[in-house]
Amino acid sequence: MTMTRRTLARAGLTTLASLGFAAFAASASAQEPGLTPTSIKIGMFAPLSGANMAYGFDVANAAKMYFDKINKEGGIHGRKIEVVLEDDRCNANDLVAAVKKLVEQDQVFLLNGGSCSAAVVAAKEYVVRSKVPLVMLNASGDGALYPPTDYIFGAFSISQYAVGGAMVDFAAKAFGAKKLAYINHDDAYGAWNLEGSKADAETLKVDLAVESVSPTINDVTAPFLKLRASNPDALLIVTYARPAALLIKKAAEMGFNKPIILSVTGTANLSQLTANVGGEAALKNFYVQDVLADLPGGPKIKWVYDMYKASYPDLAAKPDHPQSYMPYGIPSAMSIVKALQAAGPNPTREKVIEEMKKLNFDSGVMAGPVVFGPNERAANKATIFIKFDGKNQTLMPGVFTSRWKYKG
Amino acid sequence: MDFDLFLLFLQQGIVSGLVVGSVYALLALSIVMIFKTSEVPNFAAGEVFMAAGYCALFLLVFQHMPLWVAIPVTLVASFIVAALFRRGVLKQVAKASGSPVNLVIATLGLSYVLKGLVRRTGFGDTPRSFPALISTDSIMIGQASITKLDLSIFITAILVMAAVFWMFAYTKVGRAMRAVGMNPKAAQLMGVDLERIHMLVWGLAAVISAIAALLISPKILMTAEMGSIVTMAFAAAIVGGFMSLPGAVVGGFVIGITENFVGLFISSRAIVVAPFVAIMLVLILRPQGLFGGKFAIKKV
Repeated sequence: MTMTRRTLARAGLTTLASLGFAAFAASASAQEPGLTPTSIKIGMFAPLSGANMAYGFDVANAAKMYFDKINKEGGIHGRKIEVVLEDDRCNANDLVAAVKKLVEQDQVFLLNGGSCSAAVVAAKEYVVRSKVPLVMLNASGDGALYPPTDYIFGAFSISQYAVGGAMVDFAAKAFGAKKLAYINHDDAYGAWNLEGSKADAETLKVDLAVESVSPTINDVTAPFLKLRASNPDALLIVTYARPAALLIKKAAEMGFNKPIILSVTGTANLSQLTANVGGEAALKNFYVQDVLADLPGGPKIKWVYDMYKASYPDLAAKPDHPQSYMPYGIPSAMSIVKALQAAGPNPTREKVIEEMKKLNFDSGVMAGPVVFGPNERAANKATIFIKFDGKNQTLMPGVFTSRWKYKG
Repeated sequence: MDFDLFLLFLQQGIVSGLVVGSVYALLALSIVMIFKTSEVPNFAAGEVFMAAGYCALFLLVFQHMPLWVAIPVTLVASFIVAALFRRGVLKQVAKASGSPVNLVIATLGLSYVLKGLVRRTGFGDTPRSFPALISTDSIMIGQASITKLDLSIFITAILVMAAVFWMFAYTKVGRAMRAVGMNPKAAQLMGVDLERIHMLVWGLAAVISAIAALLISPKILMTAEMGSIVTMAFAAAIVGGFMSLPGAVVGGFVIGITENFVGLFISSRAIVVAPFVAIMLVLILRPQGLFGGKFAIKKV
């Protein structure tokens, strides 16, 4: 009897202690904004209208459809993901206003957004001050990732440093290039690209002849002539779409027949590029960088396109959808789900941040794995290359990456 | 740099500079024409140029109109829009305040309206190619390589400039425009209809800008921001002397060649800075511009 009483007393005390601990934990969770026993509120922002809508409208749709899939499978530790979506128009002012509204008015648990780097970098100070985790959608956002902070994770498409480095890696390995003509922009993007390129060029013992031009350049004759005069093994173009098309066109006009390699930043629409360079003749020896695991719509990533069709049948029926960058939304959403799962049934923002820092997984969507670390906030550094002749796309074998590391 | 490369760069810089400079010269001509008659720097010149390019693109590519319809329609539309802007907006602004600052602000307003309209159509969202009306096959001039399209741009620009000078020198309306530029009150007393001349000048300047757009668009790719090329035209006008039509033409060629030489012999990064350095040098060394004549104090 005594034993039974003692056992009962012990069991009672243990139960009380457990209940007390559970209540304490529940109250701690309850203090976390955007978190209820049945839901996690995520604040999403992307360009849903305006001239830059193509950069993020369907990227946000892809992330949403992945969250819907997780909800259908039971959610995360019993909680359903609830998305509050705002339009940032890829404009810094609109984006910061959207972020403030999501944090202060909607009281979201974490932020998932940003498709345009310059705009998303503008939110850095507020996000860090508010201590809200921000997991970018598809912006590279290097300006907000380096030097690293505890709260911002991005470059699920690719870091700008890695764009440049991977270009050199490809030229050296695919063509055995020892001297490369390299043209970039004279802005922050160009500087980041070039820093990555230099790191890889040094390792691979490749000489770079560099010309940096304004994004608004109209006449590319001078920089092209100087690059051609360096007698390169290949021409690397790491610019935006318009200067890239002007350079490819100029190369064709001047009879340049070495390989021309274009960065992922240089085109969003290959058929428009073909028209802009004056036709297929200019693309006889042309290669373009991509960050997906396969050709757009290829077998490795077909499931993403199938999921999109099933989730948005009306949109998928339109000629311009899914937009080119649509699959980029998946690894971002996957990362959030994995970090929330790892944070356990009573997540806090700080726990999720710690789990984000440990992420290392292959999304199956992008060319390389999502890898974060104690000092690393850029998810992807790998790229593939496609030979494009104006009509057909052929995947080049291999994955190419940058050796650049943040040394801050 | 070895001597052969130096010679190649020199020849290519001059040839490419003349081609692009001829377009700057046309735009500078349109700016100076307006400034000479109404003393308003037209800050909408770049957007008029851009909108005319998109108008032609829309008619040719999206409406599949033949060339002989699309180009005249573009030129007439440019003329009408600019003339009506002069009549409907600038005249009212001048009547309301008479301040030149307000007139300048009105031209800035037009630039925003035109850019907004083009963006609204969605055609300006991505760089677009204007169909080249002439072959882009290369030809050699000495060691310099240019395309047949480049050559046709240069020749057409020269012909248009010659036509403008002929009109100013030998036609009644041209002489009336010059008279309004020299002394509007005296011209009015001699029976010149000031408002009609102002409308004609604005319309004609827009037509010249539209021709510049039709010439250069196949080379530079079209975006809603392409009007920024007008910065070069202002540089050309300042270098030439803001009141001189021949100065605008020479200024255009000077800026075109300077841009290329700076890119080839100094640095590609410095290309965008070159026109402003040229402006500053001219303002310091010869403030009236190359063809501006000596400063004179105007007695009122």
